[in-house]
Amino acid sequence: MSGKGNGAGPRFAAARQAAAENRAQGLDIGWTVFGYLIAGMLAYGAIGWLVGRAVHVSLLFPIGMLVGLAISIGFIIYRYGRQGALTRPSPRGNAEGDDR
Amino acid sequence: MTRDVPVLASGGCHIFGGCGFPSPGLQSFEFKPLFSIGSFHFTKPMLIAVICALAVIVFFWAAFARPKLVPRGVQNIGEIGILLVRDQILRPSLGKKGDGYLPFLTALFFYIWLMNLMELIPLFQFPAMSRIGFVWPLVFVVYFTYLYLGFKHQGFPGYIKNMIPWDVPKPVLIILIPIELARFFIVQPFTLGVRLFANMFAGHLLLLIFTLATWYLASFTVGLLFAAGSFAMMFFVFGLELLIDLLQAFIFTTLTAVYIASSLEAAH
Repeated sequence: MSGKGNGAGPRFAAARQAAAENRAQGLDIGWTVFGYLIAGMLAYGAIGWLVGRAVHVSLLFPIGMLVGLAISIGFIIYRYGRQGALTRPSPRGNAEGDDR
Repeated sequence: MTRDVPVLASGGCHIFGGCGFPSPGLQSFEFKPLFSIGSFHFTKPMLIAVICALAVIVFFWAAFARPKLVPRGVQNIGEIGILLVRDQILRPSLGKKGDGYLPFLTALFFYIWLMNLMELIPLFQFPAMSRIGFVWPLVFVVYFTYLYLGFKHQGFPGYIKNMIPWDVPKPVLIILIPIELARFFIVQPFTLGVRLFANMFAGHLLLLIFTLATWYLASFTVGLLFAAGSFAMMFFVFGLELLIDLLQAFIFTTLTAVYIASSLEAAH
């Protein structure tokens, strides 16, 4: 087999593996961002509801949800909104080509 | 309603049969028991779940009970399936050190995929995952697996500590702690389950709507055009569901691998 042929296999495997890693990372980040949005509303909505129940101001529940959403959006922008911020330290990095 | 218009389909509810469109709803997900033992009722979704579990076990048993160095027949297909999970799901998240989780992830992926595919297989024609009671046990298995691994590998304080993003300013950190804890302990498992359930539920409803509409509108009138349109949409949704069934199994298993990876090592 030619040298070119020998190099194409590992290169193709490496590209396929990089694509799979990007896909997994994209899924992780996408659902983490979505999770932050829901969690912000949930956590601060719950805090608002509890405080509102104690002081008899029911409006604190929706206010808490909005505050939580705002905090989540702010944190998402801080964490993921910058150029190059999408490369998180990876515990993987040791997956190589097919070694069946 | 007039009965002199020739209809294409007899039986069931028809536009010229004097009844309204039998729109599918929650009642489409309820089944009469196949048999009962006391207060326990065995229904069609349960039968589907048992058949899928047996199918996965029997398939991999047949493939790898007596493995050959040069794979032949069903072992070939089994190896393709395992390599798909290993190279596309496990290795990108966990790396080579995560190969010990391959049986768990393979079983999870193929079980969910088969359960989803059941909505397209004649006679079964129901995705058991569209009943949320079938999704939560899988979610709990995944949830307790990654919690256990996290506490085991990082220790209880270390695991909780690693959930918090320490790189933010201290005042911001205080307001972020409730969000991080809610995300990790509540939202993460909740979205893992609801995503799978909602996709299967909506897919089954769509298929039902277009199947029923094809039957309901079929007649030798201008309604035939609408029936044909609905028939075409049924095939489109069928193709879409074929893709979604695979995609949902893939997403569930990939996120399981990602969560296990974050339990083995801190992500922050």
